Amino acid sequence: MALLQVEALTKRYGGETLALDNITFDVEPGEFVGIIGPSGAGKSTLLRCVNRLVDISSGDVRFDGVSVPTLRGAALRRQRTRIGMIFQHYNLVNRLSVIENVLHGRLGYKGTIQGILGLYTEEEKRDAARIIESLGLSEQMYKRCDQLSGGQKQRVGIARALVQQPKMLLCDEPIASLDPNAAKIIMDTLSDINRTTGITILVNLHQVDVALRYARRIIGINRGRLVYDGEPERLSNEQIYQIYGSEAGDLILDLRERYAA
Amino acid sequence: MTLPEPARRIRVRPLTRANLSIQATLIGLTLLTVYSFTTFDSRNIELEQAVRDMFDNFRLLLLEPRLKNVSVLEMLHQLFVTAGLGLLTTIFGAIIAFFLGLLAAQNLAPRWLTDVIRGGTAFIRAVPTVLWVLFFAVSVGLGSVAAIIGMTFHSAGYLIKAYSESFEEIEPGVLEALRASGANWWQTIFQAVVPASASALLSWTFVRFEINFSTAIAMGATAGAGGIGFDMFMASGFYLDLRELGAFTYAILAFAIALEWGATRLKANLGPQRH
Repeated sequence: MALLQVEALTKRYGGETLALDNITFDVEPGEFVGIIGPSGAGKSTLLRCVNRLVDISSGDVRFDGVSVPTLRGAALRRQRTRIGMIFQHYNLVNRLSVIENVLHGRLGYKGTIQGILGLYTEEEKRDAARIIESLGLSEQMYKRCDQLSGGQKQRVGIARALVQQPKMLLCDEPIASLDPNAAKIIMDTLSDINRTTGITILVNLHQVDVALRYARRIIGINRGRLVYDGEPERLSNEQIYQIYGSEAGDLILDLRERYAA
Repeated sequence: MTLPEPARRIRVRPLTRANLSIQATLIGLTLLTVYSFTTFDSRNIELEQAVRDMFDNFRLLLLEPRLKNVSVLEMLHQLFVTAGLGLLTTIFGAIIAFFLGLLAAQNLAPRWLTDVIRGGTAFIRAVPTVLWVLFFAVSVGLGSVAAIIGMTFHSAGYLIKAYSESFEEIEPGVLEALRASGANWWQTIFQAVVPASASALLSWTFVRFEINFSTAIAMGATAGAGGIGFDMFMASGFYLDLRELGAFTYAILAFAIALEWGATRLKANLGPQRH
């Protein structure tokens, strides 16, 4: 059975603006899906409909058999614990240390008082330390996050998502603020996680070349509509044109010839 | 070859309505000043003598401070009473303001609630502290209790505004990230909002403590709240002792400087670390 089922998903902002228009697709467990499309196409909104950071106007999203649109309160929070999220701007609490930020991923499993006081079990702390080490951040464990580089911050973001023990990771432009070197490390890390732990990954990307190289399935979105869903190998130049609109043109084709070959 | 003479003088500053009204105001004020000086009721005070007396008083106040009616220990005790009044009202105000500030921040609470709290606190702030103290003095009598309640009231109103604005400056993404991981509202507040805004909260609280300290001095003199303000009131109004008043002034100044130094140190420890 599919892990994530999106059916006729529609999102309106303020009654008028149509951010997502009747989107339907399924994601099987263990898939690595790259979502591409121009800025403002609705990629971020799509991810946020899955964990209900934005409310859904109509249609259905089912994750692991649970229908998301009507979830509220504790049930919604429980659902969110099973979906990790990674952000373009990392969204860490800069004033806190790496391990404190990583442990934030456990808050959804904890009672209010324990969460307020930051009381984590030894097991949770061991788990967090193990994940931090596996991402190559053991030396930074007690550093404050405002002392880290962009790539390190994003790895903290990944660690915070992993410590949730999620079934799926939503990655919203994870490399858009990183230099090419750090971007490659992050994408390799996500690819590793997908391969070794079988966690499903949905990643929004600006860069078509990166999507073609890492994702094993591409979803193309333009103006809130799903315009492509399939293997990266079968994505033709014309379809890239269609996803990005005519003006993108030459640059994308160049990139495609260089990387997709 | 010569340039043709301009037909008219070139005005650098055009004669607009705004310039005209500024000039008219300045001329009017000048005339009023001259008029008031010529019609002063000077009551036969000799200006030269008066100025000399004034500097003489300043000399007594600032250059010859000494205590007479109270001992040094007593003065320090009264200083701490005043500081205690300032500290207590700041702490009470800060605790109230923390919780109401959360509910007054637009990124943390629904709009109708923030509007209600902001409206209420704007009203509280619009009325000066002294009036709140006198207002509460009606029910509890003039004295320290009225001073504490009244000053707490105004401190809370001030800090709610300051705190809620600090909370609103938090990166929205951080809140989103914690929500996305399943954290609830209170967990988000204490794990993200408080750590991210700690130094702003601290510096606002210190600003308010400084205000409350000086208000506490005034309350000692006017509302019978005790402390060094009352001693100053006695020294100036009852004993007419400028030298003792000078000693009190220096004690307050020293205390205020120590306070500022402590606040700066504390903020440096909380602020972003430098390499």
